[in-house]
Amino acid sequence: MRSIDIHAHTFTPTMLRTLEAGQEWYGMRYTNEEKSNIFVREGKIVNIHPKCKYTPEERVADMDQLGTEVQLVSLHTPVFGYHLSTADGIAHAQEVNNDIAAFVGESPKRLAGMAALPMQDVDAAIAELGRAVNTLGLKGAELDTVVNGKTWDEPEFLPFFKAAESMGATLFYHPQPQHNLMLERTNKYALPNCLGVPVEDTLLVAALIYGGVMENCPDLKVCVAHGGGPACFGMGRLDRGWKVRSEARVNITRPPSYYQSRIYYDIVVMSERSLRFLIDQVGIERVVLGSDYPFVPWDPSPTGWLQGLESITQEEKDMILWKNLENLLGIETTG
Amino acid sequence: MRSIDIHAHLTPQCFWKSTESGGDWHSLRREQDDRGREIAIVGDRRGGLPPKARWTPEERMADMDSLGVDVHVLSPYSGFYNYSLDASVAVATSRDSNNEIAEMVKAWPNRFAGLGTLPMQDVNAAVAELERIMTTMGFKGAMIDDKVNGKLLDEPEFLPFWKAAEQMGALILFHQGDDTLVDYRTKRYHLPNSVGNLADRTITFCSLVMGGVMDACPDLKICLSHGGGYTCYNIGRIDRGWRGLPEAPTKPSLPPSEYLRRFHYDCIVYTEEALRFLIDTVGADRVLFGTDWPYDMEFDWPVSWILSLDSITQEEKDLILWKNLETLLDL
Repeated sequence: MRSIDIHAHTFTPTMLRTLEAGQEWYGMRYTNEEKSNIFVREGKIVNIHPKCKYTPEERVADMDQLGTEVQLVSLHTPVFGYHLSTADGIAHAQEVNNDIAAFVGESPKRLAGMAALPMQDVDAAIAELGRAVNTLGLKGAELDTVVNGKTWDEPEFLPFFKAAESMGATLFYHPQPQHNLMLERTNKYALPNCLGVPVEDTLLVAALIYGGVMENCPDLKVCVAHGGGPACFGMGRLDRGWKVRSEARVNITRPPSYYQSRIYYDIVVMSERSLRFLIDQVGIERVVLGSDYPFVPWDPSPTGWLQGLESITQEEKDMILWKNLENLLGIETTG
Repeated sequence: MRSIDIHAHLTPQCFWKSTESGGDWHSLRREQDDRGREIAIVGDRRGGLPPKARWTPEERMADMDSLGVDVHVLSPYSGFYNYSLDASVAVATSRDSNNEIAEMVKAWPNRFAGLGTLPMQDVNAAVAELERIMTTMGFKGAMIDDKVNGKLLDEPEFLPFWKAAEQMGALILFHQGDDTLVDYRTKRYHLPNSVGNLADRTITFCSLVMGGVMDACPDLKICLSHGGGYTCYNIGRIDRGWRGLPEAPTKPSLPPSEYLRRFHYDCIVYTEEALRFLIDTVGADRVLFGTDWPYDMEFDWPVSWILSLDSITQEEKDLILWKNLETLLDL
């Protein structure tokens, strides 16, 4: 089916080869004999989904089953390298991006790639984004919703946004699926994933808007995973805060809701009613296909779920499935 | 047209009077900042109080008249939960606050009803105070925080409280007190309130459902303020989280979405589209009129706003503005 999926996770060949050999990869290593867990750093062990190990061939075969034409693959965020030294962070990003470029090069009509960046050093991140986009042919970068505790409204990140804007690179934001803000309160009931993730997405939308990033970089291409969380649903409260609190107006001249339509959002909102609401709030031209591959069990598939929705018109479905991302990323689909 | 407001706070006159001339109210103090704004000092925390927080009952009723609000279901200011202070302080401030509300309800029974505040750091004392205000003072329930000194309300130690609230028919209104989840990330742009309140309310929904409190107490009456936060919009993802949970002793047999209608929600969601979404998700019989009086995040002209909404039917408006609360609180 004619479609582009902006939200698809992977591991990279060098990482897997290194770990399989029993060696450390930027301090990360397998922690059990089944090789189903990776120790990332102190206090952070992540589970491995076997499909994140797929070769390009295996991945495309799976996409055939799902009816997805093109996937934009990006490194699974738990193995990002923001916590590393700058030198190691740069080496990590360069290796990952070379691997992703080679990975998608195996099937260039079905796969495109997003870079990982060494955000602990803004200058290095700008340089690597330029290399990834201009030399490796990647479409942009995937970014965490927070950088070693810093939020994206910090002035030090503005040169990065300006650079991404001038390069025409797309920034895809995705939080840590387990080790996120929710752990400050609880680890029970799957709350870090089922609520911490959308809260992280919402705080990212808020940081980009209130921090003036969307105002200062009007042509910046940003997409937020999981539909931006419930940011659109809670936008009225963000507007009210802007209206009554001077500290909410330091960087922006209009209410937050004005800027929410400058951001793209994927469809990982897990209910038809919420997706309809998202479309009505941000505009259909801002909603794009994302599947959270391979973690979300769509019924029957990401494209099949969307096609089955009664409250979304066929024209809207086509925009979500491929038209919006063709325009955003310069990718051509054929179906 | 009647209207009953479930979300209207009271900063008690006993606080204002005791803290005149530098005095203290059970260790709580007050001072003015350099702009003349009143600041309440509770332990090591400082909270700004708006001018309306000092208003007398008569001034409050005049404001209610101008807003078209018939009844305030009063709840004490959440900055005075005092859970982190010595339990004896919270017991004393709870009794004072609740006694003052009781006096207001007695003096103006057609304009006020009462929700108490409770010393939740001491479950036995909280149950005793709830029993005092419910059985001898005619209260409708109590307002509590989403967490008590870092603990969520699904901890086993709170089960006696939930059983007592259920047995007494008390409505428990959830409302944040001190820091929310967002405070751990940022203090900027009022986000600890404008995102944090909504995140915390959703955590409460999840913990009461998935922690088994709603199953253990089938007749419990809960209202989640601020429209229940992100609960209704995010319920699909919450259901997915539930599906992946191991079979623990308390794991509910039904998905969390099946519990949405076990809760009530105030209407403080700010936009017509969000209110419509809330009604469509939980049912109009579960949505209650609330305004957050007298703080800056309150609704402007709340009754007029509800009445002006084209996508809400007159029947739904009546349910939200007064019928649901008349039934729920026997007003």
